[in-house]
Amino acid sequence: MAQNPKPRSIIESLGEEIVRIITPVSICMFLVVILVSILNNSESSSASFTTIATIAYTEDSSDSFWDKFEGALLNSLVFVAVVTVVTFVLVLLFYLRCTSFLKYYMGFSAFFVLGFMGGEIGLFLNQYFRIPVDCFTFLLVLFNFTVVGVLAVFMSKMAIFVTQGYLVVIGMLVAYWFTLLPEWTTWMLLVAMSLYDLAAVLLPGGPLRLLVELAMARDEDIPALVYEARPVLANDPSPRDNVAQRRLWREPRNVDSVINENSNIGSNVNSSVNPVSGLESNQNESRIVRAEEGQGSRGNSELTAPLIEHRINVQMHLAQQTVETENLVLEGIGLGSSGAIKLGLGDFIFYSVLVGRAAMYDFMTVYACYLAIIAGLGITLVLLAFYQKALPALPVSVLLGVLFYLLTRLLLEAFVVQCSVNLIMF
Amino acid sequence: METQAELENNDNNNNNSSSSLIGGGVRQQWPTIDGPLGLSENDSLWYARYFFIFGFLMLPLLWAVNCYLFWPVLIHSRSFPNLRPYVVRSAIAFAVFSAILGSWAVTFVVGGERLFGHTWDELVMYNVADKYGLTGWI
Repeated sequence: MAQNPKPRSIIESLGEEIVRIITPVSICMFLVVILVSILNNSESSSASFTTIATIAYTEDSSDSFWDKFEGALLNSLVFVAVVTVVTFVLVLLFYLRCTSFLKYYMGFSAFFVLGFMGGEIGLFLNQYFRIPVDCFTFLLVLFNFTVVGVLAVFMSKMAIFVTQGYLVVIGMLVAYWFTLLPEWTTWMLLVAMSLYDLAAVLLPGGPLRLLVELAMARDEDIPALVYEARPVLANDPSPRDNVAQRRLWREPRNVDSVINENSNIGSNVNSSVNPVSGLESNQNESRIVRAEEGQGSRGNSELTAPLIEHRINVQMHLAQQTVETENLVLEGIGLGSSGAIKLGLGDFIFYSVLVGRAAMYDFMTVYACYLAIIAGLGITLVLLAFYQKALPALPVSVLLGVLFYLLTRLLLEAFVVQCSVNLIMF
Repeated sequence: METQAELENNDNNNNNSSSSLIGGGVRQQWPTIDGPLGLSENDSLWYARYFFIFGFLMLPLLWAVNCYLFWPVLIHSRSFPNLRPYVVRSAIAFAVFSAILGSWAVTFVVGGERLFGHTWDELVMYNVADKYGLTGWI
């Protein structure tokens, strides 16, 4: 059969790239909404543990509006301060070239999230559904799941789908944990983190900007957890000798992919660094961007600390409060060297936290917040194409999402409920 | 997304018949499921071998991932002679292990207390979690 596919238009390939980043974000949000609606039926369980995010104030539903507001503000300021400090530590470590330490740390945090948090949530589901599985099978499955997940995060050449799946699962688990925080604290935290993201990426002294500039200057990867969409291959499947380099940063594109030629999305900051790399390819195949492994996001990757947890328990000593800072890439959206879009795992997490929190109120707010987040993500992608540099992915989406949540809860709900009750419209 | 890559992979494979036909099959160029996005044949040997070996550490999922990753090697029976033994053995080992595990799990569920007596209650996961307080620390 004649193999001469009609050339793909820019709209198809661009649309496909966007779909390939929106799909995992949507899946992550959907899974978190499901988990939240199954497991969080008892609202009272949320205030039962202390973490870094609630260290300043423990919310109590009987407090007045201003008390809750101030307490949540304090909590979120503390959290943002901790995240800033940790990011600066990360920049310092990266500057001192402790890359292998960072990679091991990343593997450890993936292990922690998948093993412990995944195990906990598995146990919750077990107890809720009374699944009659025995402990050997459960532990074996959990062990397998965790180890393969750590390998997927660590190794560069695992199957793309497996790595992407594990990243989505990690994002979902951390996001579910965040939804266990008290309500006001969560909302203030989201707003504070998006403002922090804006500052950290765009201000000249911001830690994420420093990180990105350092990585670019050295032409290295930032070891961090980044979701990278599968790149759209150009329509020229002629045999190549080289394997597409699943490299992101190191070998910038030397051949234009379809996206590049037409829309210039590609020429982002990284490609300004040495345009010729060892693997020259003659065809216009897009570079294979490595789907993972936490390699540098052009975005602001931040080894961050969203997951800092310690449980203060009567039995635990203070020494055991290991602040498990996870190497989760916080905000950051950027482009891989083939034009495939990269989104930091922190973005997945905070989007899902927003939608999960909305789910704890009602599904109406879920729909509104989901649309707001996707719209925000689309706007961010447009800005990315326009400015062609690393951009924070949180601010637009999260602020739109919070706005829509408030509007829905305050204004839309009364309207829709009244209409439905009187059988008028919905 | 996934199917598109596979379609492209198949297109690649069909187009790559520039190499000689070996034994009735078309010579493949890309051993992994990601096609041109994945590993080359030389690099894959390490992966195939070590995934197979480490699967013996009670990690059958690693065998499954090995089979998934090298799916073209499994499908096209005459290709990649150095990779194929590892991948085929991984597939067989995964099938055997999951048969054993599955039959144990099904016995546990179906047999219940009639078969195990009171140890069923001691083995079932939700009771174990309650006993050791495993869900308490989040």
